[in-house]
Amino acid sequence: MINYIPILNILILILFSFIMIIIKNNKTVKFISLTSNIFVFFLSIILVSKVLTQNIITLSLGDPNNLLGIEFYISKPEAVIGLIFTFVMVMILWYSKFNLDKEVSENRISFFYVLINILLASLLGVIYSNDLFNSYVFIEVSTLSACGIIILKDKKENIKATVKYLIMSTIGSGLVLMAIAYIYSITGHLNISNIHEIIITNYQFHRNAVLIILGLFTVGLGIKSAVFPLHSWLPDAHSSAPTPASAALSALVIKVYVFMLIKILFRMFSYEIVNSFIIMDIILLLGSMGMIFGSIMAIMQKELKRMVAYSSVAQMGYIVFGIGLGTISGTAIAIYHIIGHAVTKSSLFLISGLFIDKTGSKKIEDLKGIGKEMPLTLGLFTLGAFSMVGIPILPGFISKWYLSLACIEVGRVPLILIILASSLLNVLYYFPIIINGYFGNDNLDGKIYKAKKVSFTRLLPIILLVLSMVVIGAMSHNLIEMFNI
Amino acid sequence: MEMLLTNYFETGAIILFGVGFATLMLHRNLIKKIIGMNIMDTAIFLFFIAKGYIKGKEAPIVIDSFKGVSNYINPIPSALMLTGIVVAVTTTAFALALTIKLYKHYNTVDLDIILRMRGAQND
Repeated sequence: MINYIPILNILILILFSFIMIIIKNNKTVKFISLTSNIFVFFLSIILVSKVLTQNIITLSLGDPNNLLGIEFYISKPEAVIGLIFTFVMVMILWYSKFNLDKEVSENRISFFYVLINILLASLLGVIYSNDLFNSYVFIEVSTLSACGIIILKDKKENIKATVKYLIMSTIGSGLVLMAIAYIYSITGHLNISNIHEIIITNYQFHRNAVLIILGLFTVGLGIKSAVFPLHSWLPDAHSSAPTPASAALSALVIKVYVFMLIKILFRMFSYEIVNSFIIMDIILLLGSMGMIFGSIMAIMQKELKRMVAYSSVAQMGYIVFGIGLGTISGTAIAIYHIIGHAVTKSSLFLISGLFIDKTGSKKIEDLKGIGKEMPLTLGLFTLGAFSMVGIPILPGFISKWYLSLACIEVGRVPLILIILASSLLNVLYYFPIIINGYFGNDNLDGKIYKAKKVSFTRLLPIILLVLSMVVIGAMSHNLIEMFNI
Repeated sequence: MEMLLTNYFETGAIILFGVGFATLMLHRNLIKKIIGMNIMDTAIFLFFIAKGYIKGKEAPIVIDSFKGVSNYINPIPSALMLTGIVVAVTTTAFALALTIKLYKHYNTVDLDIILRMRGAQND
């Protein structure tokens, strides 16, 4: 029974989303959505506890030999990422219960919950699936539902952002499908484990084809996960979407594609194969550029949500950087950063939503003195920002620390300078908000203490997210050991 | 050159892919972009199905009697591409619906003009 949890997770979410379409009452829809997500969250906990004892769970659908059927493959990283993603999604849904009506018109609210359920189901599908074509279908489903939640807010710029996102990600999925066609033509399989067995012995005879496949997968999935020069769609899409949607997009959606890239590079091919091609150096270069330029562009932003969105580009740089090192420890940090950033960035986006809601302005300069009016909320924002900048114990610091260690391990010490520079640039755009919020007589003049206080129940999901962020930071040693595979 | 001619399915597919990709990247008109997207998808379908095709063999549909495994082409790529076509149609439909919305708001389908408008607003 426990072996069937992966498919149960996906089916429960999709079935409930189809039930929600029929129901007209928004309250019922919210209730069903939250219940189904919490149910999936508990199933994911069971899955993690099972994987911890059993190491790997596989589930074959259709064909026991996996020649034709679809296989689900869950090892420790997959299970943990699935758990964290469902947790973040439950928190986002909880937050949206109070705040979504302010941004989205009444008759569209139920669509949000329908799409969120489909989105989470397809994301879990990409994470769990061991079949390339199945992953491709899930990727397309997730893209379309992600476009759907951006366009829910029926404004001019949302439509523009969605068009941009849709076109960019169509290019991405076209390239991914082409790569799948190539790999099918040289191996005759679609199952990642089967492909691995064949390609590990034969790749010398197909060096050009393997190079093309690696390039197509990197660019295709890179567009979808907003790796630096291909990120142009992200700031528009993530900043114009309704707040819970941007939290889900920034924290979960872009991570899934980069995780699929990890699966393809290191489980379908292997460290030995990918390191013999130039592609890893290119990935490393893209990661470093993303870390620096993403931060620089974030500094130049005047709107809060755009700044947080550009910060996502920089943080994707860290993940790609970890992959580009091409070692087991580098990949472990990349996976750890996926988890750490999912929790941090979702809380930052939700807090920005509260700021925008209370002050009525998107601009960063209008946030002066906000620390006196909303002390607890800005406190939570500070903790999230500390994690991004790299204050010890928080996940951001752990990632940077272990990334530096991984650089030393492969003898590329100068790369540590890039990590340091990126941290300093992070300080430049997060700290002004905090400092102007809490300190300065000019800023605090005329502000009334706790004037714009948010009630504790509305803050609770964000508090839980920040708490889980601290826990992930504290448990970093065990987690990273788990991902060393 | 000879290799390109013997594998003319693949050559044609890659040329089509290039045409579609260039249309998608370079044209400013949204409708043309969507057409380019469709050409690109079709090229991939052709490439994939060519991988399963064996010259002189029948489509894997049993009509009167089963003729043995060696008399049919590989059905897996065709079956996969059936799914691929569904995905492409959905994306196209969604993109066209978005284009109508976009036209209603901006009175143009030229992406360059639309993106320039945004820049003016933001800075």
